[in-house]
Amino acid sequence: MTSIDAGRRADTTDHSDGMAYLETVPSRVVTTYIPLLLILIVLLFPFYWMALTAIKPNDQLIDMDKVSPFWTWNPTFQHIHKLLFESDYPRWLWNTMFIASCATFISLVASVLAAYAIVRLRFRGAQTVGALIFLAYLVPPSILFIPLATVIYKVGLFDSPLALILVYPTILIPFSTWLLMGYFKTIPFELEECALIDGASRWQILTKIVLPLAIPGLISAFIFSFTLCWNEFIYALTFLSSTQNKTVPVAIVNEFVDGDIYRWGSLMAGALVGSLPLVILYAFFVEHYVSAMTGAVKE
Amino acid sequence: MNFDRRSLIKGGAALGLGASTNLLDYAKAWAQASPFKAEPNAKINLMRWKRFVEAEDVEFMKLVAAFEAATGAKITVTNESYDDLQPKASVVANTGQGLDLVWGLYSLPHLFPQKCLDLTDVSKYLGEKHGGWFPSAEAYGKLGNKWIGIPIAASGGLMNYRISSMEKAGFKEFPKDHAGFLELCKALKANNTPAGFAFGHASGDANTWLHWLLWSHGGYLVDKNDKVIINSPETAKALEYAKALYPTFIPGTASWNDSSNNKAFVAGDLHLTANGISIYVTAKKDNPAVAADMNHAYLPVGPVGKPTELHLPFTMLAFQFTKVPNACKAFIAFMLDAPQYNPWIGAAQGYLSHFLGEYDANPVWTADPKTTPYRDVAKRTLTPAGLGTLGEKAASAIADFIVVDMFANYATGREDLKGAIAGAERQAKRIYR
Amino acid sequence: MAARLQRAAFRSQMRIPARGPAHAAFFEHGSVMVNSAIDMTGNPGRRQSERTLWAKLQGNRNWLGFWYMLPAIGILVLFLAYPLFLGVWLSFTDTKIGRAGEFIGFENYEWLWDDSVFWVSVFNTLLYTIVASAAKFGIGLYLALLLNKRLPFKALIRALVLIPFIVPTVLSAIAFWWIYDSQFSILSWSLRKLGWISANIDFLGDPWNARWSTIFANVWRGVPFIAITLLAGLQTVSPSLYEAATLDGATPWQRFRHITYPLLTPIIAVVMTFSVLFTFTDFQLIWALTRGGPVNATHLMATLSYQRAIIAGQLGEGAAISTAMIPFLLAAIGIAWYGLQTRKWQQGGSND
Repeated sequence: MTSIDAGRRADTTDHSDGMAYLETVPSRVVTTYIPLLLILIVLLFPFYWMALTAIKPNDQLIDMDKVSPFWTWNPTFQHIHKLLFESDYPRWLWNTMFIASCATFISLVASVLAAYAIVRLRFRGAQTVGALIFLAYLVPPSILFIPLATVIYKVGLFDSPLALILVYPTILIPFSTWLLMGYFKTIPFELEECALIDGASRWQILTKIVLPLAIPGLISAFIFSFTLCWNEFIYALTFLSSTQNKTVPVAIVNEFVDGDIYRWGSLMAGALVGSLPLVILYAFFVEHYVSAMTGAVKE
Repeated sequence: MNFDRRSLIKGGAALGLGASTNLLDYAKAWAQASPFKAEPNAKINLMRWKRFVEAEDVEFMKLVAAFEAATGAKITVTNESYDDLQPKASVVANTGQGLDLVWGLYSLPHLFPQKCLDLTDVSKYLGEKHGGWFPSAEAYGKLGNKWIGIPIAASGGLMNYRISSMEKAGFKEFPKDHAGFLELCKALKANNTPAGFAFGHASGDANTWLHWLLWSHGGYLVDKNDKVIINSPETAKALEYAKALYPTFIPGTASWNDSSNNKAFVAGDLHLTANGISIYVTAKKDNPAVAADMNHAYLPVGPVGKPTELHLPFTMLAFQFTKVPNACKAFIAFMLDAPQYNPWIGAAQGYLSHFLGEYDANPVWTADPKTTPYRDVAKRTLTPAGLGTLGEKAASAIADFIVVDMFANYATGREDLKGAIAGAERQAKRIYR
Repeated sequence: MAARLQRAAFRSQMRIPARGPAHAAFFEHGSVMVNSAIDMTGNPGRRQSERTLWAKLQGNRNWLGFWYMLPAIGILVLFLAYPLFLGVWLSFTDTKIGRAGEFIGFENYEWLWDDSVFWVSVFNTLLYTIVASAAKFGIGLYLALLLNKRLPFKALIRALVLIPFIVPTVLSAIAFWWIYDSQFSILSWSLRKLGWISANIDFLGDPWNARWSTIFANVWRGVPFIAITLLAGLQTVSPSLYEAATLDGATPWQRFRHITYPLLTPIIAVVMTFSVLFTFTDFQLIWALTRGGPVNATHLMATLSYQRAIIAGQLGEGAAISTAMIPFLLAAIGIAWYGLQTRKWQQGGSND
């Protein structure tokens, strides 16, 4: 089976529930629905709590006796309004989007080339280089960010989105390369051999044969990378300083904490609205994501 | 530009200029007369702590705009939260570019004194013009004979208490000594209207009240030669006192950060804490009942018999690698000039207290008697170094929460008396070696 | 099958009609390393001209490989390897922020060796990593199995499950911070209303409570990624295997133990490696929730290093703490390697 059929199949049928007809309805409720519901409640409750906080009036936030904290009958859009119209929020959103897109793009290009070279060119030392790239994944930002700040200053990139665009790939390339390596391995050799014999260059092979077959893998790598960029905190905190250059997570924490007062409503509104683009992305791609991962893990 | 008319009048009046004088004209005249001439088209990157009160920020940006208009300089202001400001300033100091002015807290300039521009002339000019610096200002701003930072204002950490709860606990006025204070906390606990003071890594709240507690018993981290003397009977007494206080507090103080007590107090769950005026300011807006029932007091005087408070000063420094040193100096001088400074601390509603004698007369301190105690904050504060010299070692020690952790370790029962002191001593010796 | 068709299509598509000068020029580029390892299985009867071309291409491999690797390696060397080296160097100096340090040998490490807070942070890091990873694995796998069943609104449920992974960590950490608040915790409030407890739970103020609370938040955030990835793995398991097993009378547990689990092992190895690494080097969550408190009880090595290096300005010491993470990371790599070996073995056995 190849990646493609795996993806197709995942889209249309579930093939591990072939036994479903053996289960009775009550047993399904006990073994499937109840546990699933419980897990979902735990997973979603903090999110619900965020959303609720974002629309609760200030006085209800710290008063749990007069009104039930689980619901509010007089929602306010004051926090969201403040976020959208009285702060630089749209600007931060754009920054985040821009940085995440560029960094993801660079990472994907670099990863495609690297993964292809390692898997297919099999140049001397390919194995070692592959291992080294995997090792790169193990170096956490918390170790790197002090010396990296020095490098960023030396290159003159401080407070420039370019700093993040160049640094984020260090977190993204290892994973994407690994994912794509798995993917490229599934593409049969004969295909390339034929093309080579017919005189196609390696570049043509990569762009015309390998990439189209690896699209699910690319989507998967794209989503994963984009999410990581979106959520990254410590580099964004260190390398950007002016308010109008910041990314969403950093800017929100910075903007809505006034000394020793946390503006809960706006913070949570920011978290909510800041996650929306990703939620939309995932809503569209979650099935692709699953099937793409399926492709990557299946060799 | 849209200048606030009230502040114009106030500013003009303070200088004896006619009420009709426009702030811009004034700023221009000031720029003419000032000994600090900004470089033409100077570009200043300023990083400041994140405001507490929105009005303060608005007022500050107005004076920035006036300065820009008068001198042709361009100031880019970046706001950073308490906890992020110092790391960022440090990174800039380390790499030598990115910022010109940093307006940080505590002893920031002393973390990297050799990177700070000499501001002696500015301080001399301001001191002569505005009624002289309080002694604490010299302690904060000076290294040797050189001023490496200008203390702009301080934020006080004073007692915030609920009047009714205190009276119910049997006190007519806030206790002025340690015995009374402990008794009050116990009584508050018994009435289920507890006190609470941060034992967590709260750079403002925990550091200020725990240093006060240590010093009020005569314990110090280092002596005046920077020799570590934390292992003393006085320290032990302070620790025992904290251990007696801790069980009277509302649960959770070991995890508190700077915002925790604000929230609990405004909600009405907490009846006594040490904090800036932010609780009062927020409560006036969000919970007026609490605001009406609260008041402020100096921290009690301990066995040493004199005030030993630590407050949170905001000191402005200019980096020595700035390309526009004169513009930086001019801006600091302009900011602390009466027509700008008075409306600005007025807008801060008591959050910020001055280091210059002249500003005792600012109406903000008398308009609402509840803010009056905060007037004297800068006068009463010691420096985080205690007896020692304020420098990078003292800055490291306070940033690393040595004293806070010592108290928390013992009060929460994580370590015994000896262990808690020994831990602090060991860490302090490492820094002061 | 779709892919076979596609392959055939490509084959015909790629029959490039004539060899233009551009191609020729390109092929000339390669250095003549004809004798490098050549993988020519299955092509015995080629014509001579094609053979030399093929050989040249083989020679091209190193040269081409270099160019293909350049972007990735360039970025990684400049922004990862070099700073890493700088960091290790820093750990042998007494550098402070704003002041270059001198080489002091192992002094930072000697100091840490006697530092109880450091050892607490090591203990916490291990506890945090082991417990959280195990929990994430257990719950993630269970959730993946549940999601793999026939369910109504499957796509919607999958999207919902991913939400904790999507919300920026810092912001969800702040939400957790509030859920764990010592006075306004919704959990304490609910339990109090239910009459199960009489006083608020001190989630973050008591060392062990704080440890479990942070671990819970980490698990909450990590489960979706693991579940979805394992779900992807599950989808590759052919249903016919289950059917056959059921006909042989296998219990659900036996089906899991003897079919699902072995087939899933490779992906488990990989996803758990990532999970362990993420957990081990976690910073944001602890920093936003506890700052390492109460009284340093939840400091991880990453947060302690930040506290010492950036907050307290002792860059050298902070770098030493980070560097001390490296042996643990190497151990994790060892385990991962083992997992990947298993994977290769499986691959060989599966005969695709």
